[in-house]
Amino acid sequence: MAGRAQRNGTLIVLGALLIFLISLSLSGSNFWQSIVINLGMYIILVVSLNLSNGFTGVFSLGHIGFMALGAYISAILSLPLSQKALYLPHLPAWLAATHLDMMIGSFPLGFLLATLIAGLVVTGVALVVGLVLMRLSGTFVSLATLGFLVIVRIVLINANDFTRGSRTFSNVTQYTDLWWVYAWLLVAIYMVWRIKFSPYGRSMFAQREDTVAAQSVGIVIMRPRLFAFAVSAFFTAVVGALWAHYLTSFSPNAFYFDLAFSIITMMVVGGMGSITGSIIGPILITIISESMRRVEDLTQLYGITQIVLAVLFILVIIFRPGGLFGDREINFAAIWGRLRSGRGAGEPKPQNVE
Amino acid sequence: MKIRSTILVLFTVLVAVLLSSFSMVSAQTDTIKIGLGFDLSGAESSLDLPASNGAMLAIKEINAAGGVLGKQIEGVSHDTRYDMALTAQVAHQFVEQDNVSAVVGFTDSDSVLAAGPIIQAAKIPFITAGATSPLLPSQVGDMFFMACFGDNVQASASAEYAYKNFGHTAYLLLDQGVEYTTLLAGYFKTRFEQLGGTIVLEDTYADDATDFSTQITKLRALSTQPDFYFVSAMPYNVGPAVLQMRQAGIDGPIIGGDGYDTPDIVSVAGDSANNVYFTTHALMDPDNGTDPIKKFFAAYSAEYGHAPENAFAALGYDSMNLLADAIKRAGSTDATAIQQALLQTSDFPGVTGSITFANGSHIPQKAVTIIKIVDQKFTLAQELVPEIVAPANPESTETPTAEATASS
Repeated sequence: MAGRAQRNGTLIVLGALLIFLISLSLSGSNFWQSIVINLGMYIILVVSLNLSNGFTGVFSLGHIGFMALGAYISAILSLPLSQKALYLPHLPAWLAATHLDMMIGSFPLGFLLATLIAGLVVTGVALVVGLVLMRLSGTFVSLATLGFLVIVRIVLINANDFTRGSRTFSNVTQYTDLWWVYAWLLVAIYMVWRIKFSPYGRSMFAQREDTVAAQSVGIVIMRPRLFAFAVSAFFTAVVGALWAHYLTSFSPNAFYFDLAFSIITMMVVGGMGSITGSIIGPILITIISESMRRVEDLTQLYGITQIVLAVLFILVIIFRPGGLFGDREINFAAIWGRLRSGRGAGEPKPQNVE
Repeated sequence: MKIRSTILVLFTVLVAVLLSSFSMVSAQTDTIKIGLGFDLSGAESSLDLPASNGAMLAIKEINAAGGVLGKQIEGVSHDTRYDMALTAQVAHQFVEQDNVSAVVGFTDSDSVLAAGPIIQAAKIPFITAGATSPLLPSQVGDMFFMACFGDNVQASASAEYAYKNFGHTAYLLLDQGVEYTTLLAGYFKTRFEQLGGTIVLEDTYADDATDFSTQITKLRALSTQPDFYFVSAMPYNVGPAVLQMRQAGIDGPIIGGDGYDTPDIVSVAGDSANNVYFTTHALMDPDNGTDPIKKFFAAYSAEYGHAPENAFAALGYDSMNLLADAIKRAGSTDATAIQQALLQTSDFPGVTGSITFANGSHIPQKAVTIIKIVDQKFTLAQELVPEIVAPANPESTETPTAEATASS
């Protein structure tokens, strides 16, 4: 019964999402689409970051480095040859001659390939980095991953022949749209969901709660951590590719502390360890941020958004240290039960109830 | 329970604000709407905020004088927070929600490249107040114009000035984390070496550096000090870099670009900023400046209660007036008509010098102001039009060509 409610609930949410996306794309409003596209990319980032930070407790601050690598690798692969000759004249010959622009009808297969290659290369990087870093825990791993982010930035700035250094990488073809983002979003959420409720996922949570106790009952520590780190790096790199082919221009500055910390804010507000929280967190922050933008325009008090978000972050840390959802997920069976008994009709999210 | 309902009410109010704001859009239809895209609260705000203030002041003055084509100008302002995803979103907002006739904004190329293609695709004229990369017009498109000179022009001017006044050997230090500083240093080097000068030592630092001791140690290890030091830096690095060089006993001339044009340099470096030179768009001096500068200085001080922070205030002011002038000459707010009128701009009297778009160029021909800091004050060293300008595309192998830069 509970399983059926959960499945039906999921289908209803998927259906609602589909209707929402179709009507949004029919409305033709690029402005609203840009908000929803940005939101979708944030959700993938937070969901995949949560897989590593929330599930295994290895608090990485360096994920945005994977996003940067994903953006640059995919953009170099998909940049039209004429633009390559103009902007990246010193590329190695094999790369200078590579242009992933295969189309199947109007479907840009080349972009999909570029995204996948970027994702896989970055997964390889994450495995190598993770082999060393995943042996650390607590503050040490945060500092080490922060170091990784700084290293990525310095490499990007100095790899002039590949990245134009600190200069803006521009004239990337715009492939990313609503459908690309939300298709990847569903893949990411599905993968992370399956991992969370697999024995592997359980062992991640177990070693997060108490490493020694987990080890004493025979749970391996290293492998699940490395696995979580690599999978989350893959999806983070995919967002990098989507981002690059949406904004069409970017520089190493775009992938640094600002973005890293706004992603972490969204994750903490939503709940470390909860996929539902990783979806609700970015939605909440986006709504607050967009509404505050109107308030700023009306009052001419620019900058109060950041203050409001910072206060919200502090309040969440004080009153709900686990975030809105903690480790829990949305439970459609419980909602259904409440609706039937007619008590919680006005409260769509019973998870918030103590 | 009480707290929860309070939170719920607050959240509902926020959503209501979000939705209601769009029903209020375009209550007035008899105005000419101009989008003002500036980073008002992020890392670029020390340049963007004055530029935005300058543009708002221009709008106020134009409206007080009866507006343009019999209509008032309405400035629609949104903060972009130096966040590129938000910058793109704001560009969509200008195009779609605000239905602006033109956009004025930004002082950095990252923001211009994030917003530019969207504004270009909507075929709306876009003037940047202070993004100085000369590559921008080719990267954005034909609706894009610059109100300022390109970095190749100011770097060539400083190379020529330094070669003539300081000597033929130079030390080059650059922030390798930012497009502006990298390009500027590259253009300087090209022109300086073409003149016959030698760079004795070239060094870099990270954009977030606060300590320059590594670079200074290397510099001091040179057997003879160069004639001068070209330091290509962002506004937030200029003060500490200059201060630390002076404290290490390096007292030769330091020269740089318009990133130096911030009050921070004097407030951080104090008297150490003596013998520092930089190229910029105009000298914001109420006593020694030109008449338009004096007038602008007075108007800006009256409006905001303090003097213009830097030349970007004047650039914001000029961009808005340049646009209003083009709309007036076009006789309509039709995008193509405005674009054509902009292209035909000739000797437009701006605060930052006269602006001419010659031979279909989208970068104006303007003189470069070279400023010398004396006793914590900016003073005019020279107004200069470089004889030869380094080529805009640093990757191109062409030798620098003489460009007919305008008379000052």
